[in-house]
Amino acid sequence: MTAAAEPAAPSVPLAEEARRTHRSARWRRTAVPYLLLAPALITFGVFKAYPILDSLLLSFTTGSGAATRDAGLANYRRLLDDPLFWTALRNTAEILVVQVPLMLGLALLMAAGINSVLVRWRAVWRLGVFMPAVTGLVATGVMFAFLLNTEHGAVNWLLDAVGLPAVDWLGRPFWARMSVVLVLTWHYTGYNAVIYLAGLQGIPKELYEAAMVDGAGPVRRFTAITVPALRPVLLFTVVLSTIGTLQLFDEPYVLTGGGPDNATLTVSMYLYQNGFRYFDFGYASAVAYALTLLVSVLGAVQMRLMGERGT
Amino acid sequence: MSHLSRRDLLRASGAGLLALATGSALAACGYSGSGSASGGDADTGTVTVWSWATAAAALRGVVPAFEKDNPGIKVDVQDIGNPAIWDKITVGLAAGGQGLGDVLHIGCDYLPGYLEKFPGGLANLSEYGADSYKDKFAKGLWPVVTGKDGHAYALPWEVNPLGFFYRKDYFDKAGIDPAGLATWDDLVAAADRFKAANPGISLIGINKAANPDPDLDFLQSLMQLQGAFYFDLQGRITFGSEPDVRALATVKRLDDAGLIADAPGDQGWATLMKAGRLAVAPMPAWAAHYLETKFADQSGNWRLTKPPAVIAGGKRTALVNSTHLAVAASSPRRRAAWKFVEYALTRTASVNSMFTAGGVFPALTEAYADPMYSAPSTFYGGQPVLRTFADLAVDGGDPTNYSGDYARALKLASDAQTKVFLKGGDPAAVLQDAAKQLAQQTGRSTA
Repeated sequence: MTAAAEPAAPSVPLAEEARRTHRSARWRRTAVPYLLLAPALITFGVFKAYPILDSLLLSFTTGSGAATRDAGLANYRRLLDDPLFWTALRNTAEILVVQVPLMLGLALLMAAGINSVLVRWRAVWRLGVFMPAVTGLVATGVMFAFLLNTEHGAVNWLLDAVGLPAVDWLGRPFWARMSVVLVLTWHYTGYNAVIYLAGLQGIPKELYEAAMVDGAGPVRRFTAITVPALRPVLLFTVVLSTIGTLQLFDEPYVLTGGGPDNATLTVSMYLYQNGFRYFDFGYASAVAYALTLLVSVLGAVQMRLMGERGT
Repeated sequence: MSHLSRRDLLRASGAGLLALATGSALAACGYSGSGSASGGDADTGTVTVWSWATAAAALRGVVPAFEKDNPGIKVDVQDIGNPAIWDKITVGLAAGGQGLGDVLHIGCDYLPGYLEKFPGGLANLSEYGADSYKDKFAKGLWPVVTGKDGHAYALPWEVNPLGFFYRKDYFDKAGIDPAGLATWDDLVAAADRFKAANPGISLIGINKAANPDPDLDFLQSLMQLQGAFYFDLQGRITFGSEPDVRALATVKRLDDAGLIADAPGDQGWATLMKAGRLAVAPMPAWAAHYLETKFADQSGNWRLTKPPAVIAGGKRTALVNSTHLAVAASSPRRRAAWKFVEYALTRTASVNSMFTAGGVFPALTEAYADPMYSAPSTFYGGQPVLRTFADLAVDGGDPTNYSGDYARALKLASDAQTKVFLKGGDPAAVLQDAAKQLAQQTGRSTA
């Protein structure tokens, strides 16, 4: 027993040491990736997660600076009774309903066009189509402010040349909204067209050949092959464009400042005004969370509606 | 979680990090020595002054004499820029006064907001004797620098009484003498005669669609001529009040009579002026120099008179706006800072030298005794325009309370005016609606 116990005695600490060594090696192994991830995680935590959470807490306060105090749900109740918030929401919805289908329809046609073998210098076309997407938003806004100027703008000059009356593009509520739609469409159609083009190039040629053999014309081939095959890509662009439009800020900010009479005020602009013009950060945070909720719900509905049939 | 507690948390963590880095408790002491409540009353050291553009340059001109008369104090005037200065002051006040200059140049549209939203952020100047200067400034300015506690938090520097600049040639053609117009309605009554004599010429240019920014100076002036504004002195909303409705109704009558031209965009007004298509510029004192330099080719055609009243027998003076010098409560050398403010703003020699250098029309009324205020101006056909403004400033205006919610009120008033211009809105109805919205947004009561 003793003899057998003797060699066993030192083996206990040895085993413990081995276990420890093993554990520390494993810890080192696991720690390394975390250490490597740390800069990203810390940056995310400080600049993303903290502001997101703090904004939530802020949405339950009112006042600013030293005069900040708890407000409970008052900001959210105020939101429901705030006509300007509803105006902003309605404007955003109207732009969304008109602009997104228009832009995506155009993008799809454009993509089909530049994908066609009948078109020469396709690379040049593709470049041209994508060009507006890389133009700075402020530059876009300033450029369109010049083009749409009522008295000296090129657009009204063209209208005049063909005998049409001048339009007060930025000074009338309806036309101001149309101007925003115009700018958005100009800016983002090419971007979406390029995404569609990538999708189009993934569709097997054999499908089209078989359809042609069966006697399907170009329209039938487009509706029966192209559109169904592009469904996941379509879903992607619809969801992205919806979220983008709900967060619309730059274009109306530069072009119309939200006017006239709030005709182009969007939810994001209203958020900005409350936060950085009126220093009402609590209320601005409540607007931000209302927008977040809206984006999530709409995104989920679209995924459900289009996604199920697509897969 | 409030701003305050988060700031304390950041400060604590900052102090902790410093303490860790230096291994010394001194670091924590360093932190406890700063912050909003912990400024000091030192009367020596370097005083930093935040201002903008020509005003900063003008202020710099006072520094050599001040430093000579006040050994031990150095002054560093910084041109922060406008509007950048408002963000910088706001951020500084929100951070408990850290990083702020010692002396701050603040407009009347921001001062009440800072006092309301950052109580304790600006130094109480009554403690240093500011109240003794109360009657030295244009009437109507002292309430603007006074906090709810009755103490003064700034001294007035610049004041802008409203003037009525007009094109003498156009009015002569129509046989109308603007000096004889007692009310704005007299102008409406003469509209047909004016338009017949001056086809294609309007009186006033306004950016009717308020795109990209509000264009409310004229409407506000009409309110101020009646001693009214968006808020009363207690901070209650007065949008729907009789004077406010009357002001917007006057704008509507002028527009209906075809006297207001649309000046779209941010260049619209200047374009109309350059083309000589506007006959009136209802603008304050600073415009005297501005019109002269910007539209030099119209020299000799412009004149200045008192603005017409809104109602018969009503007031013909209004103080459109003013700017002030305040001292940050967080300044460790508040007394030295105050000495500079007092030196610059309460002495005739200082304010007049600053007026000459930077065109800042002084609020100190005794400054107007200087002969330069009676000098004739070629641009205005030999008229001593500064004398008119000096007289208007001495008459004084009613105080205007911009309150801490001016930006909101301005936006709602702008929307109301746009509704009248673009949709034929009824002035009373649109202003009542604006009052309701402002009350809903700010929690303020309606007067």
